[in-house]
Amino acid sequence: MASIRIQPELFAAVEFDDVSLSMPRSKRRGGQGTRNRIRRLAGESSRQQVPVFTDLSMSIMPGESVAILGGAKSGRHEFLRLAAGTLLADSGRVRRQARVVPILDNSRCLTAAYTTRQNIYLTAGLLGMTPGETAQRLDWIVDMAEAGRWLDTYLRGAPRNMRQRLVWTVSMATGAQIFVIEKSLVVGHGEFMERCWSHVEGLRAAGVTFLVTSDDPHDLERFCDRALVLKGGRILADTSVKEGLELVRPTPRTDPTDQPEDRDDN
Amino acid sequence: MGIVWKNRQVLRMLVLRDLHGKYRNFRLGYLWSILEPLGMTFVLWFVFSVLLGGRKLGEQPYFLFLSVAILPWWWFTKGIAASTRVFRGNMSPLTISLLPTEISVIRVLLVSMADFALSLPIIVIAMIVTWTFPGPLIVLFPVAIVVQMMLMYGVGLFVASVSALVPDFARIVRIVLRAMFYLTPVLYSIANIPEGARDISALNPLVSILGLYRIGFWPTETEGAAQLAVGLCVTVAFAIVGVITFRRLESRILKEA
Repeated sequence: MASIRIQPELFAAVEFDDVSLSMPRSKRRGGQGTRNRIRRLAGESSRQQVPVFTDLSMSIMPGESVAILGGAKSGRHEFLRLAAGTLLADSGRVRRQARVVPILDNSRCLTAAYTTRQNIYLTAGLLGMTPGETAQRLDWIVDMAEAGRWLDTYLRGAPRNMRQRLVWTVSMATGAQIFVIEKSLVVGHGEFMERCWSHVEGLRAAGVTFLVTSDDPHDLERFCDRALVLKGGRILADTSVKEGLELVRPTPRTDPTDQPEDRDDN
Repeated sequence: MGIVWKNRQVLRMLVLRDLHGKYRNFRLGYLWSILEPLGMTFVLWFVFSVLLGGRKLGEQPYFLFLSVAILPWWWFTKGIAASTRVFRGNMSPLTISLLPTEISVIRVLLVSMADFALSLPIIVIAMIVTWTFPGPLIVLFPVAIVVQMMLMYGVGLFVASVSALVPDFARIVRIVLRAMFYLTPVLYSIANIPEGARDISALNPLVSILGLYRIGFWPTETEGAAQLAVGLCVTVAFAIVGVITFRRLESRILKEA
């Protein structure tokens, strides 16, 4: 696949057809015997493919705001990446009606050694905006993210929460019709957070589609009108947010995506 | 090529940003893109023509002879070495990047190419200093650049995708590049290749490419059309293999991010 394919004629906003995916996990090589011991000594780790989704199908209509729920390792992160197209399914098909802009752990994509302005252009570029388009929306971005003071200083020196505001605003500036958002539906504190809320709620009213994960049930209840509960590689339930949250509540919420806990310790 | 054209503006920005970042911390800035290869050429020229001048290597003037081939060679090594690092290190941009994945490879290849372009004045300087000027066959110089780009695209994609999944491969590439430096007529002329090895050396596309760079100055520097054709075929084969390998490994590379 040369680039992420978009099918404007599609009825649904995002559609999964029998999507299967497995992800590699490294494990420290176990086993007895000289051979295994030598390989362990050499720092070799065994990689196994862990299935994340098996034959998962779903479709999300334009204008819906869907909460993606699930416990640890339920694959919420992978689900969002598949929808955005930054991860390719092993089998099955993911179709999307328009460009899907991801807001994942975007602040890790910033480069501290560049200025805020350069970072805006770089991040926007990753999200498919040309420098010309970015320049047009630069004022809005700077205004919204309150980044004016730091615009031409290196990001290293800028306050930490500014990065979050920055990536959020740049992603919003793409003006996409579909967003997948991991844990940062709104960012920041106080007044900025309120502005985030009014922005995303305005978009929602205007018919923009959202796929959201969050650790804050209140955010999801406030914003989403449908929930997909992921479990064991399938969709356990396709229901209202309230019921969906009931389903996942028993399991203690831990960070499902980062730090694969069995990462090779060499 | 369609990818490059469609994303040309973003690519331009990325490449300029990389170049800027690369030279920003140096007092002499972009001058280093000339000074570094110039210094290396001087060292090699000194060693192989002054210290070890006994055996006839290549053509005269040796400094020009060396620089015409060593600059493209550097472009090749730097570009390929950089490709091995593309999908290692911080991969998180890949998790949100809506650009085609190839862009990351094309980006580092273009950066190395920009360095090459910036170092071209060395050849002009060498021409003026030695007062040697090329004949009409110099028109093949840009052709050589295009062929080399094609070769690097294939090799770069291959090397980048394999070393993303097998980190050891990056080390192997480094050794192979070093070996290739001596196996390719950079320091010496094509005439120095022993008779028996000619046929094998024709399979090394860099032999033909470097020959194309040099042919404008020294018409004897290629073995003729047959060898060039073989070189071109091998280049195309590399490009196809690179693209296919990348296509097949792309989804696995993305999983590593």
